[in-house]
Amino acid sequence: MLTILVAVGVAVAFADSSIVVLALPELYGAFDTSLVGVSWVITSYNVVVALCAFALVPLVKRMNVAWMTRGGLLLFCAASVGCAASWMLPVLIAFRCLQGAGAAMLLAGSLALLSALGGSRARGLAIWTAAGTFGAALGPALGGILTQLFDWRAIFVFQAPVALLALVAAFESHEHPSVGRGKSRRLAANLGLALVFGALVGALFLAVLLVITVWGLTPIEGALVVSALPIAALGARPLTGELSPRRAAAGGALLLAGGLLGLALLPSTSTAFAACSLALCGVGLGLTVPSLTRRAVQPDDGLVHDGTITIGARHAGLVVALALVAPLLSHSLQSGARDALLGATRVALDGDAPIRQKVPIALDLRNALEKTPKGKVPDLAAPFDKRGAATDPNLRQVRDELIGALQDALTRSFRSSFALSALFAVLALGPILAVRRRAAQ
Amino acid sequence: MTTRRGTLALVVLGAAAAVLIALELALGALSFGQPQLADPCTSKPAFSGGGLDGATQRFALETLAGAACELHTTREELVLSFVPNAGTERIRWDQATIDAALKAGLDRAAQDTAGKGFAGQALAYALRELVAPSIAWFLGTANGT
Repeated sequence: MLTILVAVGVAVAFADSSIVVLALPELYGAFDTSLVGVSWVITSYNVVVALCAFALVPLVKRMNVAWMTRGGLLLFCAASVGCAASWMLPVLIAFRCLQGAGAAMLLAGSLALLSALGGSRARGLAIWTAAGTFGAALGPALGGILTQLFDWRAIFVFQAPVALLALVAAFESHEHPSVGRGKSRRLAANLGLALVFGALVGALFLAVLLVITVWGLTPIEGALVVSALPIAALGARPLTGELSPRRAAAGGALLLAGGLLGLALLPSTSTAFAACSLALCGVGLGLTVPSLTRRAVQPDDGLVHDGTITIGARHAGLVVALALVAPLLSHSLQSGARDALLGATRVALDGDAPIRQKVPIALDLRNALEKTPKGKVPDLAAPFDKRGAATDPNLRQVRDELIGALQDALTRSFRSSFALSALFAVLALGPILAVRRRAAQ
Repeated sequence: MTTRRGTLALVVLGAAAAVLIALELALGALSFGQPQLADPCTSKPAFSGGGLDGATQRFALETLAGAACELHTTREELVLSFVPNAGTERIRWDQATIDAALKAGLDRAAQDTAGKGFAGQALAYALRELVAPSIAWFLGTANGT
């Protein structure tokens, strides 16, 4: 039972990298901020986890790991309460930074704690890896469900008791966790993990933004689509036992790249194609991450030392990919918005509606464009709905075609960012194959 | 160690990924999301409405296409160039150029309609008188002037 509570705490700390993605539109409205401002709610957490993890690497051997885990859980719990109570964006970002610091400590320390609770370092590492893989994949779906059932604050309200229970478990455990004998340098495996987590930006962040912001799905509908990712990651788990680590990692990276390419080449605004592509990403994640983690962390060599480096590598990969993907997406969306409006104008001009409806609708559409803040998708349905699109099939058809043209063009503008994410997955093959060569030597 | 079952599962998953991508390409992934804008110099309005309203709209669309052709742009670019915040290039022609392009568009639309006999010529004249001020008003309103 204590093992499960700590493992759930680990899963939540990994899920926190992406858990607020589905809540971004709500946060955007709640704090009346810019897209860049609201994106820091995600980026700040990942940056601080990466920085703190790397800062902890030289210290873990001299620290009391049990107290580091407890301290991390306490900080994570308190910061979650702070996030839930935040009244302005800078406060939320500050608490997210504290959450990140707590997460780095608890994730590093929990490796040793789970090893003590699980009876062996290998078993502890296996539990930690499974919790981390499933947690990272589950993040967006969990956040989406909580956001729609309650609101964005529920995401953090939910985390506090989870961290508290893990903290109780950490205090209840009378095992003496050890950090491992020495330290090892497994650059290739960590580089592979960093690149795989960089690729996950496509599945964890871009796909969620696409289905919620562009396709207009509710957080729960969006969560249903992206839940293909954790379900497939979980489903791939038995397969790891049937494959050598190298083959699992390489095959997983290729499947991840294939899934991301599937998202880049969507032929329509189809949730079925998106879910299938995400399922491939999930299988890739489920195969690659456990295999690379086993290579990166040697239980009998430097468990906590290696584990802490791995935590830093994963989050650094996420941060670097976010830093590269965000400006690319922003640029693509600008040209995509232009194409979207051209397509929508074509539909409006050629649409089968009487001129007495078309002219006022055209003027209302102009007003909607003017009033829409930069970076948001304009509500182009309202002018049609105001003039009876609910009862007039012709007008409804023009409305749906117009919105379809808008969504199609904006969906296309995600293409280059998904392709860049797929490139990260392909690049991960280099370190994965290097791991094999080193192992052979 | 890799088992035969594991290899088979990996091959099946790889094939599934290949099939997914091939299916997407077959369904037009490469052209998906591109605005299918017609050449205003060669295409006819796609509007299919009937009656006086339909004839008026076709005439207005033909006028717009003629003006866009004259300005070496598309109908859609021309309309959006009058809309602030549209993200497209703002008006890049002076009033005299726009007036000349609209007149050329009206002439093209009138000629097109008049080609259908005397009744067509009469209708073209009436439409020209009716539609020209409406287009000028609409573009003026869209431009906020």
